[in-house]
Amino acid sequence: MDDLIADFVAECREMLEALGGEIVAWEANPDDRARLDSIFRFVHTVKGNCGFFDFPRLEALSHAAEDALADCRSGRRVPDGTLVSAVLAIIDRIGEMIAAIDAGEELPSGDDSGLIDALAPGAEGTAAPAAAAAAVDGGAKASTSGPRTIRLSVELLDRVMSGVSDMVLARNELARRLREASGDVEVDGAFERLSGIIAEMRDAITRTRMQRIENLFVALPRMVRDLSTELGKQVLVDIDGGDVELDREMIEMIRDPLTHIIRNAVDHGIEKPAERLKSGKREIGLLSVSARQSGNQILIEIADDGKGIDGARLVEKALANGVIEREAAQRLTKAEQLALIFEAGLSTAKEVTAISGRGVGMDVVRSNVERIGGVVEVDSAPGKGTRMTLRVPLTLTIIPALTVSIGRQHFAIPRSAIEEIVRANGGSVTLERIGGAGVATIRGRRVPEVALADVLGLPSEVKDEERTLVVLRPAGGDVYALAVDRIHDHEELVVKPAAPAVMATGLYAGTTLADDGSPILLFDPAGLAQVGGVRLETLERGGRAVEAPLAVNSNEVPVLLFRGLDGNRRALRLGVVDRIEEVVANEAIRHSAGQLRVQLGEAILPLAGVEDSAELEGRVRVFRLNDGSHEIGYAFREVIDLMTLANEIIPSDAPGSVSGVTLIDGEPAELVDAHWLFAEYLGASVRPAVQLVCRLPEGDAWMQNMLRPIVEAAGYLVIGEKDELSADITIVSEGREVATEEGGRVLRLASDPDTADGHDKIYRYDRAGLLIALKSASAGRL
Amino acid sequence: MNELLLIVSIAGSRVALPAADVESVVEIDTLIPVPRAPDHLAGLSALRSRVLTVIDCQRSLELGSTDLNDGELHEAAVVELDGHHYALTVDAVEDVVEALSEPSPIRAAMGDGWERVSRGMVETEEGPLLLVDIAALVAGPGAEARAA
Repeated sequence: MDDLIADFVAECREMLEALGGEIVAWEANPDDRARLDSIFRFVHTVKGNCGFFDFPRLEALSHAAEDALADCRSGRRVPDGTLVSAVLAIIDRIGEMIAAIDAGEELPSGDDSGLIDALAPGAEGTAAPAAAAAAVDGGAKASTSGPRTIRLSVELLDRVMSGVSDMVLARNELARRLREASGDVEVDGAFERLSGIIAEMRDAITRTRMQRIENLFVALPRMVRDLSTELGKQVLVDIDGGDVELDREMIEMIRDPLTHIIRNAVDHGIEKPAERLKSGKREIGLLSVSARQSGNQILIEIADDGKGIDGARLVEKALANGVIEREAAQRLTKAEQLALIFEAGLSTAKEVTAISGRGVGMDVVRSNVERIGGVVEVDSAPGKGTRMTLRVPLTLTIIPALTVSIGRQHFAIPRSAIEEIVRANGGSVTLERIGGAGVATIRGRRVPEVALADVLGLPSEVKDEERTLVVLRPAGGDVYALAVDRIHDHEELVVKPAAPAVMATGLYAGTTLADDGSPILLFDPAGLAQVGGVRLETLERGGRAVEAPLAVNSNEVPVLLFRGLDGNRRALRLGVVDRIEEVVANEAIRHSAGQLRVQLGEAILPLAGVEDSAELEGRVRVFRLNDGSHEIGYAFREVIDLMTLANEIIPSDAPGSVSGVTLIDGEPAELVDAHWLFAEYLGASVRPAVQLVCRLPEGDAWMQNMLRPIVEAAGYLVIGEKDELSADITIVSEGREVATEEGGRVLRLASDPDTADGHDKIYRYDRAGLLIALKSASAGRL
Repeated sequence: MNELLLIVSIAGSRVALPAADVESVVEIDTLIPVPRAPDHLAGLSALRSRVLTVIDCQRSLELGSTDLNDGELHEAAVVELDGHHYALTVDAVEDVVEALSEPSPIRAAMGDGWERVSRGMVETEEGPLLLVDIAALVAGPGAEARAA
């Protein structure tokens, strides 16, 4: 929370500084629309953040100023000198309060009604100066808490980074010279040390710029929860792709737009529970936020299943506000109608709420995203939901890539798109020509095949069957196999956009420099397929959107069916699998510190799934399992399919890596117990010092199947009603009586969202609420 | 205005580039070709951890081609355009002179390629020179066809 406040203060300060000039200009010319807009945005931002942080005085002030300015923007009121000075007085007051917050002081109590009244049309003069002086004194005390940080310009970081890159190149040059000339051990030793230091520095400086997008996503569930509680709505947030890495600056630049879009989605998109039921939807709205990399862009999608955007209403509104001409309005396509939402001063919300709905926001969103070379797209079906897509460039993003070569030239392929790599002459692969088109059959699966040499028009002396096939799955598309002459190395590359003429070929996502300083082109897998003539049947967007929400609340649990190293069919709940990686067994897997560990990128994780270390040979595929805070690896041989758990689970007799067996696709499969794996492999160090205990009714199937995994994942030992242990928390259905235990907490679950109070009575699908209750119970104990 | 001009020779002709736009003059040795890119885009080269897109000016002007992979060093002028760095291959870099006039239209007929990149004629102490439009040189011969 402190971090968030610090961010808020920093942001406000920056805006206030930037606003200094605008205010003066506005005072000189109150009719200036552009100045008005930027001042309006400032108070809007302050208002939005205050609601979140609970600064009622700031909120009241900014809300009042926003109201008055909104009237000016819509033309209901003409700004005059009195209004200007009243607004200026408010902005000054906001500045003072922010200084107080920054210094870590309590907000002084004071009366702002004088300032607010001065905004009213016809008010005489301002009451500002007297009240202001009394309210805040100084506020310039240095804050002493928190880690020491400084704000640096990214430009400076860029300069340091390019300096370090130059240093690496110079080192490589020196290394070459040393190899040729001296055999002096001392010189070599010193050089090695220098080398090590440079590598470390490069690492550190790279990391200063990169951040997981997770940092941006972590605040979202809480924000949505607070918003939806305030609005009396039920919203489930589904977040995906938090490990996509993005330039720090990019993350900062998309923070605001993302917040605005999510606020809008919760406020205007998702309906109240009763309305949702009426229109045949589940009462909980689903908001899914996902990030992924696609070519040279990062895609962030925010989709809700709410009431959608009414294109016709937008057009009406735009006509009324004079944003477009009637003639032009008639020619708008549906997509263009929806895009009107990004025009300044437009909003289809009937009521203005404290959250959003004044038509500011979406225009800010667009201008912020476009400033970083990104694009916002909106797609909406009335009654079904809205999907906003932010596309931001990948500039300076580091991506893991595989280098391949044709003839003597090297290229890079983003590893995220690579599904597997097989040799064209391997036993399980056959290559055929059908009407001139290449078709590769890999373990019975037929995939289109293109030779990279043909796509690029490069001469290659390697015969078809001696090539290596890289099986690629471009974002959102179908697989195809790319035949390359040779594959080389996995490298982490800093990708920069290439010149427009290079990008225009459609083949490349950017350029990068290899360690030896020579440029390498990075492919865009989807573009390659297109130029190579492969038709990718893109997955239907709508289809995916429908699928995802269904899985959340039905009893069908999606599982990944796979074959373990020992050849057994096993299944693992999909939710715990973060991703699949491939490693070379004798390089990345070691027995150290008492257990088997695998190195995945920069992380060393405990490795499960290995019964006999003789099974570890050649390349081994590893699931990366994640429980939200820790990761472990699970080695396996191959993925069979994605299935759902539908049949009864026969539990195993003793706790272990397998929790039971069930029939999947007509054959038995062992169900891997992820909870046991984490408990076992992470060791005692991360177990809570005190075992938390939660009592759940044994007979309640919903509690045992749905709730129990959540409770267990939160670190609780689950016991039944008759067990002797004393429970930290007891969860029962609403209306059932239970004896209160000493020191224990009783949580009642309501099946009707309207009867829940958010504290001791929680709606049973209010996952965020449940987790918070579980957390607070454990906090009381530890 | 006394704009500084860099005199270079391209395809045997002496022409002027606005010196302010030229960041440096480098010698290009290794070149990584870009398959499927337009002909005049000779390839990529690295300059102090930056990627340079190398433009073969002779091809851009449709006046022949420069053999950049003959193992010799080729001089090139580095310019920045829309945030990307380009190296323009030239036969030789000669001198920097002051412009003595505003560019004025050339009324005589020029070759096709020159016509496309011309910003007019400027007077200098070394006589009149053609002032070359760098963006047009980078865009190359296909640009108009693509835009149309």
